Amino acid sequence: MKINKEIRRLSREMLRASFTDGQLDPGRIASLVDSLIARKPRHSVEILQNYRRLLRLELEKRRARIETASEVDPETRSKLIADLKQKYGNDLTTEFVVNPQLLGGMRIRVGSDVWDGTVCNRLERLQQQL
Amino acid sequence: MSGILEEIETKIQGIKTSTAKSNVGVVRETGDGVARIEGLSDVMLNEMIEFPNGIFGLALNLEETEVGVILLGETTKVAEGDEVKTTGKLLQVPVGKALLGRVVNTIGEPLDGKGKIKTDSFYPLEKIAPGVIKRRSVSQPVQTGIMAIDAMIPIGRGQRELIIGDRATGKTTIAIDTIISQARLNKAGEKGELKDYRPLYCIYVAVGQKNSNVARTLAVLEKEGAMPYTTIISAPASDTATNQYLAPFAGAAMGEWFMDNGMDALIIYDDLSKHAVAYRQVSLVLRRPSGREAYPGDVFYLHSRLLERSARVAEEFGGGSVTALPIIETQAGDVSAYIPTNVISITDGQIYLETDLFYQGVRPAISVGLSVSRVGSAAQIKAIKQVAGKVKLDLAQFRELAAFAQFGSDLDAATKARLDRGQRIVELFKQKQYNPIPVEEQVAVMWAMQNGYIDPVPVDRVKEFQIKLQDYLETRKESLLASIRDKKQLDEELESQLKSALEEFKATWR
Repeated sequence: MKINKEIRRLSREMLRASFTDGQLDPGRIASLVDSLIARKPRHSVEILQNYRRLLRLELEKRRARIETASEVDPETRSKLIADLKQKYGNDLTTEFVVNPQLLGGMRIRVGSDVWDGTVCNRLERLQQQL
Repeated sequence: MSGILEEIETKIQGIKTSTAKSNVGVVRETGDGVARIEGLSDVMLNEMIEFPNGIFGLALNLEETEVGVILLGETTKVAEGDEVKTTGKLLQVPVGKALLGRVVNTIGEPLDGKGKIKTDSFYPLEKIAPGVIKRRSVSQPVQTGIMAIDAMIPIGRGQRELIIGDRATGKTTIAIDTIISQARLNKAGEKGELKDYRPLYCIYVAVGQKNSNVARTLAVLEKEGAMPYTTIISAPASDTATNQYLAPFAGAAMGEWFMDNGMDALIIYDDLSKHAVAYRQVSLVLRRPSGREAYPGDVFYLHSRLLERSARVAEEFGGGSVTALPIIETQAGDVSAYIPTNVISITDGQIYLETDLFYQGVRPAISVGLSVSRVGSAAQIKAIKQVAGKVKLDLAQFRELAAFAQFGSDLDAATKARLDRGQRIVELFKQKQYNPIPVEEQVAVMWAMQNGYIDPVPVDRVKEFQIKLQDYLETRKESLLASIRDKKQLDEELESQLKSALEEFKATWR
């Protein structure tokens, strides 16, 4: 998608206005989108698309995806969530995924940070080293 | 055997205990050798990015929400949605003497089928050039073996001398002749024939050239026995723009290893016009703003930071050097185009080759008026200075008078003598390709010219006279040549020996 400076500036301003006390506010987001649609400025569709993209990236920074080879017991699950929230803040959302291809261990991704302790990853590293 | 098992066991232990933290991103867009990636919040500029299938990229554009990465290697295997990760490493190439005699690609992988390159040393492609404290002035010559250059446009070790001219004017030939000359000197140095000689290793970087041209150059260097002292880095026209853009930097890194280890290296960038074109392509695909002739704004910095890495370092830092011979191809002799003016202003002089001279049979077709060496004369050996001090002036005056004399028939004796001398100097400076002349023979021939021994020879036989004289000196007066080589200057004794040798030769010359 080709975007010009104006689109980028407006969508960034909208993103800045979407926070309340440092956290994304769904109510403000909805009202911002509604007011933009009502005013219909030039390139409004492109501005909304770029705003959506910025929001998606912002949400990804606040979402933890935890992949394991088998189901995690509830106790470990709650401990993990508490630890992650302590590190990344209370607005962090978590998602647990079972992926048997990992063979064992756990892979946690928050934004672009990844902690990989899976057997699959260890085997790959071993292969590279040998 | 048990040692290997233990080593594997420790590696397994190391992997067992660690959880790898990495910074990842997702490919959102790919094409034309460039990928746009979301994520990678910790990426550094010029950091290597690892893609699936063992492909690597280089982060060049760090934007607010995206990273622009140029891909190295197979670009078709990268797909949208692929997860990539940072490596924390800068792009580096193997360096060291193991690369001599080899043909490699931009990232130092062998292309010659001679097996793996065995070296433990690696240098980053991008490195800051040595600063003012580390440097010293140029004082040692690079003997190109081309008489016109060694006499009039001398090149010193650590200098950057541009070779510029239209297509097919002999730019690459000058570079290859220089490599061959170095190989011959290096061989003589190894045999102990040259006093205090420091070998000069050569790196030939072919950017955007036809593969057939690179193969021909390789064949010539192999035939002349120059490959044991030479590395060829090939990023041909069929290679990606990324590889073409990075190849000169790989050459500079390989040359710097020699400099850092107290040795001398010569790098030929053939050619920087195509390098600028490759960089323009990369920049445009990365959506960087374009400027004059659609080149990006930092194309000057691209070449200045590359050529600034050529230096002669002080004795306390090893005393090594990197000499650069960048080549620029002009269009219809236009030196005022963007890239030629940039590189002319960066380098310490230029050898300008003219199409007209080339077709008149003056080869190498060096234009004496437009060629200059800003620092090289400090590096000339004294003997050459003694015999060639006025040659450039004589030739310049000859060209002026030759143009003037076309309109008049009656010339005074002094003008005629000057014209005759000029014609003979032009003949002397004609030289066959791949045939560098040793410096002592250059001195002897130019001494003969300076002292009027060539004046009676008809112009069309001057070349024949020169070749016979060189043969005579090589076969009959070897000790005289050796004395010139060792003393590096002409004293009264040597001059009298030269005089008697010339008299003897003249008596036999028909």
